[in-house]
Amino acid sequence: MDDLMHDVSITAEETDILQEIMNIAFGRAASDLAEFIDIFVILSVPYIKLLRSVDLPPYIHEEIKDFNKVSLVEQNFWGKFKGSAFLVFPADSGKKILSLFDGSEEHFESDPVYELEKETFREVGNILIGACVGKIAELLGDVITYSPPRVVVERSQTSVISESLFDKDSLAIVLRTVFDFNEKNISGYLFIVTSEESFSWLKKALNNFLEQYEC
Amino acid sequence: MIKKILIVDDSPVSIKIMKSCIPKDKGYELFDAANGQIGVDLFKQIKPDMVFMDLTMPVMNGFEALQEIMSLDQRAIVVIATADVQIKAIARAHDLGAFSVLKKPPNKDNIAAVIAEVEETLARRG
Repeated sequence: MDDLMHDVSITAEETDILQEIMNIAFGRAASDLAEFIDIFVILSVPYIKLLRSVDLPPYIHEEIKDFNKVSLVEQNFWGKFKGSAFLVFPADSGKKILSLFDGSEEHFESDPVYELEKETFREVGNILIGACVGKIAELLGDVITYSPPRVVVERSQTSVISESLFDKDSLAIVLRTVFDFNEKNISGYLFIVTSEESFSWLKKALNNFLEQYEC
Repeated sequence: MIKKILIVDDSPVSIKIMKSCIPKDKGYELFDAANGQIGVDLFKQIKPDMVFMDLTMPVMNGFEALQEIMSLDQRAIVVIATADVQIKAIARAHDLGAFSVLKKPPNKDNIAAVIAEVEETLARRG
């Protein structure tokens, strides 16, 4: 990590700016979600870490080691700020999240719950990732486009988050937050992984962002 | 009349942004605290005329700090400066006694507006 920090030379101030931008972006994401479904989202302080991409899967596995099975929404985005966002929930969250939308706590066995859960994750993922990544890009003066979300429901975490998802030898800026849907006791993780390609642009954009506030 | 302003926020960048948006020509004395607990302690010590308070912070969050401050001084003026603009978050802040809620990132205009509002309130109180 120290070597990497030296290599990419992100300053403490740049990290602080990124953290504050993340904070604003997550606030927006929570607000958008709360408008869509009547729920209060509790936000945690965002955390930022620089990693080589090859170290990402073990890092994410460690972060979510308490969950045997996870559901995941993955969405890629392109612009000057370019990368992938991963929204990870523990396995039992699908039905809880689903109940936020249809109000029912139980479903019959004949219900196509798997498909409903998948659609629910897709919608929640779309809102959270879109608002969050979109706000980061907006604050940094970028416009981005997204791939359709990829949704994987209740699979073992090793099969869901594999090394093949990431470019080897590239740099990853991991932006992580934990959020709780208050009434339903659901926690999730959001990781945003940007490529090395975006890094120079990101550094410049972060400094430009703060410059507008210089006294 | 406002003399002392306390900014409570865990982000040094956010504090810097907030300070840059507060008018320089009024002679305000600015203080800052890195979390809610430090904010409450500093509030007791310096008795500021107004507080800008973030919500999402480690150790003690903004809701808890607001509650503590209002229990210490029911007339305290605490402006919540937050990116969390969920209706329920805003309602909770008002229920706990927040003076107003300011959406992040702030700018000079909305900071000037809220400061003018606080000045008016303080003038009315005498």
